Parts: sequence; structure tokens; C-alpha cells
Amino acid sequence: MHWGMVIDLRRCIGCHACTVACQVENKLPLNERWNKVFTVGPEGEFPLVTSHFLPRPCMHCQDAPCVDGCPTGASQRRPDGIIIVHGERCIGCKFCMLVCPYGVRQFAAEKGIVQKCHLCYERLERGEMPRCVETCQLKARHAGDLDDPGSEVTALIKQANARPLYPYLGTKPSVYYIFP
Amino acid sequence: MAGNIEVKKAACYFCHMNCGMLVHVEDGVVKKVTGDPEHPFNQGAQCPRGASAIDHLNHINRVNYPLKRVGERGSGNFKRVSWEEALEDIAARLKKYKAEYGAESIATAGGTNRTDDWARRRFFNLLGSPNVVHTSPVCWIPNFLIETAIYGWSAFDPEIMGSRCVVVWGHNPGASYLPEMRGLLEAREKNGTKIIVIDPRYSETAARADIWLPIRPGSDCALALAWLNVIINEELYDADFVENWTVGFEELRERVQEYTPEWAEAKTWVPAERIAMAARTYATSRPACIQWGVATDQLGRATSAVAQARAVLRAICGNLDVPGGDVMPGPHPTFITDVEMELNELLPEEQRAKQLGADRFKLSTWPGYKLLNEQLQRVWGKGLPAEWMCEASPPVLWRAILTGKPYPVKALIVLADNPLSSYANSRLVYEALNKLDLLVVMDYWLTPTAALADYVLPAASWLERPVLTTTYGVSDWLIASERAIQPLYERKTDYDFWRALGIKMGQGEYWPWQTNEEVFQYRLESLGYGLETYEDFVRGVRFDFAPREYYKYLEKGFATPSGKVELKSSILETLGYDPLPHYVEPPFSPEATPELARDYPLILIAGGGFMPFFHSEHRQITRLRLLHPEPRVAINPELAQKLAIKEGDWVWIETPKGKVKQRAKITTAVPPGVVQAERGWWYPEKGVKDLFGIWESNINVCLDDDPDTCDPACGSWCTRTILCRIAKVEG
Ligand code: SF4
Ligand code: SF4
Ligand code: SF4
Repeated sequence: MHWGMVIDLRRCIGCHACTVACQVENKLPLNERWNKVFTVGPEGEFPLVTSHFLPRPCMHCQDAPCVDGCPTGASQRRPDGIIIVHGERCIGCKFCMLVCPYGVRQFAAEKGIVQKCHLCYERLERGEMPRCVETCQLKARHAGDLDDPGSEVTALIKQANARPLYPYLGTKPSVYYIFP
Repeated sequence: MAGNIEVKKAACYFCHMNCGMLVHVEDGVVKKVTGDPEHPFNQGAQCPRGASAIDHLNHINRVNYPLKRVGERGSGNFKRVSWEEALEDIAARLKKYKAEYGAESIATAGGTNRTDDWARRRFFNLLGSPNVVHTSPVCWIPNFLIETAIYGWSAFDPEIMGSRCVVVWGHNPGASYLPEMRGLLEAREKNGTKIIVIDPRYSETAARADIWLPIRPGSDCALALAWLNVIINEELYDADFVENWTVGFEELRERVQEYTPEWAEAKTWVPAERIAMAARTYATSRPACIQWGVATDQLGRATSAVAQARAVLRAICGNLDVPGGDVMPGPHPTFITDVEMELNELLPEEQRAKQLGADRFKLSTWPGYKLLNEQLQRVWGKGLPAEWMCEASPPVLWRAILTGKPYPVKALIVLADNPLSSYANSRLVYEALNKLDLLVVMDYWLTPTAALADYVLPAASWLERPVLTTTYGVSDWLIASERAIQPLYERKTDYDFWRALGIKMGQGEYWPWQTNEEVFQYRLESLGYGLETYEDFVRGVRFDFAPREYYKYLEKGFATPSGKVELKSSILETLGYDPLPHYVEPPFSPEATPELARDYPLILIAGGGFMPFFHSEHRQITRLRLLHPEPRVAINPELAQKLAIKEGDWVWIETPKGKVKQRAKITTAVPPGVVQAERGWWYPEKGVKDLFGIWESNINVCLDDDPDTCDPACGSWCTRTILCRIAKVEG
């Protein structure tokens, strides 16, 4: 079992519902966002322009620099591939934030620890989809088992040639994007 | 289950989609709000507004009790009073105005459908005043009415899923109606549906189009006419349909000869060849549909001309009421629709004649309503609601309040509206509101308009009220949703308000249903489900989609005087308008007002929805505001460089009417000669004494609503093509 996500950038229209739903679900302070959505473009000269949006949760890297770099073992890779932060072990040294090439980790000042997207593993365990997947009106986000050749996510990755963001970093992300 | 946990099937009311929501309520407290997977629109999803519903429900700035002004108007000093005291005083004053100046001296203003509009109309019909206004002239109604004049209902239900080509015209569902946007993308993925987007700006939706026509703002009419020219001259129309089901085709053919693609190229800035290519794509991909978009309802005097040309286009291409085309849903056959609740028949003829603006904007007021309804009754058995479709003109109302002509207007009840931010010419609106003897505002918040009120009444929002979605009773389906909780504090629904005030005004016998649920139950009884309560209906039935019928005209004919599609419209002719499609230049443009263009050389688009806000709402929801903290005006890099404006600079946007500032967003989404400002901006954090900063960035300050510039048939004012100049804010 290897949980992963596919985000279809042909569909995402940058509404930020995933950002907001994630905040509400995880009771985050207003300025902490585990899933930022970036605007790319428009590029080119009017009217020959292109643009798209890029939601960016934690990539759940299988060779995760944040896990390797964590001095206390607070950052861990679960057997199902989800990278989590044990709040009670985190000392807030922010080293993981430094080494995460995707910039998805956030310092939760009022708790003094680092937090980030945990792929809603508690929801997954209850048989629910991650909150951001559930909330996306455009059905741009999909979560599932990357190890299962019959799952929706593996099918999407094959069909649409999905690839991770910056694969050359070599961190083996579990989040794949279908680029427009 | 632990505690008292219930899951309620509510409906979001933060935009028109009314997405289905599951609300987890524990001992009367809302704990969680998620999308309802069984709901056909959102299928379990939410947009950012829906996802933050609890922030709205429990926001510390909500108005929770009736407030009465103490001290000067606009001083922002209010004291808490009881509902009883407020209603008693309001009713006494309304009676006084009615006795002294006539019922027409009392008016009401509404905005985007967030209320049981029929209840407002019922109250006003019983009161005897025809002066109900809405933002209707700039939202949907001109299209609806022109189409109804031409083919007897509006073809507003495009069947995207079965369509081979969808035209998205002046519409950006990618930032406004997300479920609709999903439908478009899915249609393309599954069926290869072509998407043609017509928008001067590179919008979220344009970015996904197969063909994007970046027209000059406001030149939509030229484009539609050129399409007609190409389609007729190249004989791409549906000859059978034209032959059997239309009148006036020969006159139409003659009329459109002058509107060649080359002619349109000069008007639209789109190459003639591209115009022709898109016309061919549309006409030869059958079935095709054209989605309604709000932009063309906001072109001032050019508004209904666009609707007319486009309606004719749909018809001759054989797309009316066919599967995958532009379906005319008609009214729901069995349940009691809005118009049947309004009691329009009780408004005396002499009072109808006094409706402000009815002497000039004839299609959207009583004269047009009467002509249309005669036809609709005959064919559909039901007419259109007067609410939205038969309204006084807001610009005329403001002027009547200010001048006392043609008669004095003393009182205004505002509900689901914030006129200072939602109507053009905000300074004039401000003066008018100040001149009133009585201003009553029912809202969730102290808005800039509420700050001027004599009474501010606390409104229940969607978690606190049931919602019966019927598209004003002009579509053949309904969706029922229940309240999650009873209203908190002393909030009430608009139905409760109109009923309570109605009873005080002596209308008691007409308000027999005590609650929203009771009246909804009454409206649904004729569906024949025989359920005990409204909640049972929501739990057990929830949706009623009348079986989809196509080609209804084969049996019924079209609801027009000839029974056919009137390409040359007899109803428009009777009302004194050009019965054939024709070109109208919007009121402000380099072509229409060259003298003005010398000083104000840029074209301003002063509208367009953007996430995460809806109209002027939601600025106080911090979670959302942080995503979009300030207003932004889109400026092309070339123009920005010329004016030494950098990303993020505050920029003055100035027209002869006034100036406001917004932050520069440098982007190639707009061409160099065009800027697009965001609408609806006020600053809830700025405090009541400053009217919440309503003069700072509210683009409506810059817009004119002179009735002479408004659409002659429907009274629409112009927001989408204005002349302006911009400059960096110094210091
Ligand atoms: S909710 Fe969906 S469409 Fe909206 S920003 Fe997130 S991924 Fe994109
Ligand atoms: S994206 Fe960053 S935080 Fe997430 S697993 Fe990779 S390195 Fe760690
Ligand atoms: S998976 Fe869960 S935690 Fe991660 S971004 Fe989505 S909602 Fe947030």
C-alpha cells in the first residue's frame, strides 16, 4: 500500500477551496496553509497567452529529505508512504523546513512545532478521501494506492502521463501532476 | 450515537448554485459542513465559501439583534431594540407615507437571489406599490425577457453534456460557477465538445477554451450579427426549422447583409476570418448551445440588442429545445411557482401605471410583462414571476427620491442588497439614501448601506433557514433543503420579516403560513408525494426534476403571438423597439463618445466575478480575505510601463463620475488599451463612521447610470465598457 495523489492541472481553476477546506479540517490558524495554490502565468503576449494553476500539498516523498534531516525522529515515513510529523516529538528546530525542496512545511508558531499536509491519513483510515480531494468542485484531485495497478490514480498516471513536480530532485514524490 | 448528532441536508446560499451541503449538528451546534455527495450540482464538493460556512455563521460581526439608529444618519450609532418595537414603528411609518403620499412612495431594493423573493412581492402587491427594484437590469433579466419576446421562454438550460459545441459568452464559470465549469471540462473530455469562449479578457475559462475570441469590450453585438451574416449567407442554418417554425427570416436575411465579418473586425478587433471560422464551428456543430453570461447584460444601451441577435442565432441554427441544445425548461408543471405566490392580480392597474421607469423601459416593466404573460399563460399555463421580470428602474428610483419627481418616494426597504456597492453611480445612490425618511436594511452585517439605515434587522443565513431552489419558478425542477439549525440570536428569515410586517400592515389573512417550512410544504403539496412535513420531503424526496421534454413546440407552439419563433419580434415592435437584430454601440466608447476618449483613453471593464468572493460579500471572512486581501486592477505590462506603474502599486482609476484606487496587477490577461477593475469592494474592517471605506475602491463610484445611457428596453446600465484613465497613486 502506497498512498499517493494525482492532481489534474487541466482541471484546476485555482479556486482555493482545497486550501480553505484543508485549513478548516485541520483546524489551522488563518495564516497557516498546508496546501497553497499558485498561479502560473499568464505567459506570452495578449492574446497569445497560456496559464495554469498549481496546488501544492506535501509531496510525500519516498526518499524524504525532511525525514532524513529530522534530528528527533518526529518526521517519519509511515509504512503506507505517508510522511507525518509527530507533534509531541517535534522540537521546532525547523531543519526539515530548510531541507524540504518543495517548501510545504509550516512553522506553527503557537505550538512551536512544524506541521504540514499529512494526506488526511485519519480520514483515509476511516475510508474517506482527503478533505481537499472531497472538496474540489472540478474533481482535479485524486487520491489512492500507487501500488495497485487497478487504482484510479495509477490509471490516471498512465493515461495522462502524470509526473511529479521537479522529479530531478530525486526525492520520489507520491504526488503526481497531469500538466496541461 | 453520542450526544445528539444529526446530519442535515442544507443548501449553500453563498452563490446561485445552491450546492447541497451536509451539516453535522451536535446538540444544536453546527460542527461541520461538507458537500452532499448525493447532490447533482456539487456532488460532494465545496468552493472556498462553502468550506468556510461556519466562519460566516459564528462571525463576531454578524448583526444579531434589531438595531435602531440614534443620532445623525450615518453617525453609526445604533441601539438594540426588540423586533416588536422595530416592526411596530416601521409599520406605523409606512402607513403614514401610504396615507400621505400613496403606496408608491414606499420602495424596496433587493440583490442577488438570497431570499424568498415572492414574499417581498406579495408584501408590496398587498401594500399597493409597484416600486420594487433589484439589480435585475444588469443580471439575466434582459436576456430572459428578450428571449421570451422572441421565442416564448428563455432557453437558459444549455445541455452541455450532449452538446457538440458550447459557446461561453461573457461568462467565466471558472471563477463563478464551479460546477458549471466542471460540466464544460467533462463534456470536452468525454464527448469532445468544443468550447468557444467570448471574453475580452483571458479568463480562467478562456484559458480552457478551444476557441477564444478576445473581443473589444462591449462589441458583443457586432460579433453576434457577423455570425448571423456568415451563417445566413453560407446557408449554414437549419433550413427546416427556419421554414416551419420562424417568422421574419427574409427580413432578417436582408437586415444582416450590412454586418459582414469585415465590418465586425473593425468593431470587435478580432480578425474577420476568425469571426467567420468561429461562426462556422458553432453553426456546423449541432447540437450546440450558448450559455448565459452576465457580461452582456451590462452594456448599457447595447444590452438588449446583444440578447436579440444571440436569441435569433440560436433559433436559426436549430438549437432551441433540442437535446444537447438550448433547452427551454418552462415552469414546473405541478408545484406552486413563485408567480403563483406573488398576488400580482391584487396590484391595481392605476398603481401599475406608476411604476418608476415603466414609461421608458417598457420590456422589463408592466407594459412588457403584460404582453409577455398573455402569451405565456396560453402556452405554458403559468407566467413569469413579477419579481425580477417586472421591476421599477433603480436609476429612476434614485432620482425620484432626490427630486420628488414624478412623485415623492419616502421609504426604502433593502434586503439582500447593498446599493452603495452594487448599483452604478454610488455618490448619487448615497445622496438618495440620505434623503429618505425611512431606510430599513435587513442583512447579515453592518454594510455601508446598513450604516445609513434607520433600522438594521438581523438576517438568518442559509444554515439557519430552509431553502427551496426553484430558479424563481422559471425552470422545471426544484431542490428542497432544510435548515441545519434554528436562527441564532434574533436573526430571522426574510419570509418571517415580510410576514410579520405584513400582519402589522393589516395583511394578516394573506400570510397564513407561520414558517418557511409551512409555506414550502404548501407549495409542494400538489406534487402529490403526500408527506407530512417539509423535512420529510427533504429527507425522502429532495429533488423533483420534471421529466425532460424536448421539441415542446411541436405540440404547443412557441409562446409568441404567431406561435413561432419571431425573428422579427412583434412584441418588441408593439413596445416600440426595433423588431429585428441591429447594431448598438455601448454608450461610452471611443466610437460613441470620441470627445470623452481624448481625456479618458482607456477602456475600463468594471465587473466580473472572482474567487473567493461573491459580489460585495465575504470581505469580512478573514480566512477568505487573506487569499485576496485587496482590490486589484488588471493592467497590461505595456501600458504599465508607459505609465510607470509597477506590480502592487496603488492606482487611481478615474472617470468623469469619480475616482477610486485599486492595486495594480500587471498581466497579459488584458490588452494594452483595456483595464479591468474588481467590483464589490468595501472594507468591513474600516468601521462604520467611514462607511467602511466605500469610497476608496468601489468601482461603482466611477460608473454612470444616466437613464439616457441605459438600455431602452430593460434599463440596464453600463459596467463593462467605460472610458477611464489611470495613474499611479503618489505618496
Ligand atoms: S479545489 Fe480543485 S480546482 Fe480549486 S484550487 Fe484546489 S485543486 Fe484547484
Ligand atoms: S515535500 Fe517536503 S515535507 Fe513533504 S515529504 Fe517531501 S521533503 Fe518532506
Ligand atoms: S491531504 Fe489533507 S492535509 Fe493534505 S492538503 Fe489535502 S486536506 Fe490538507
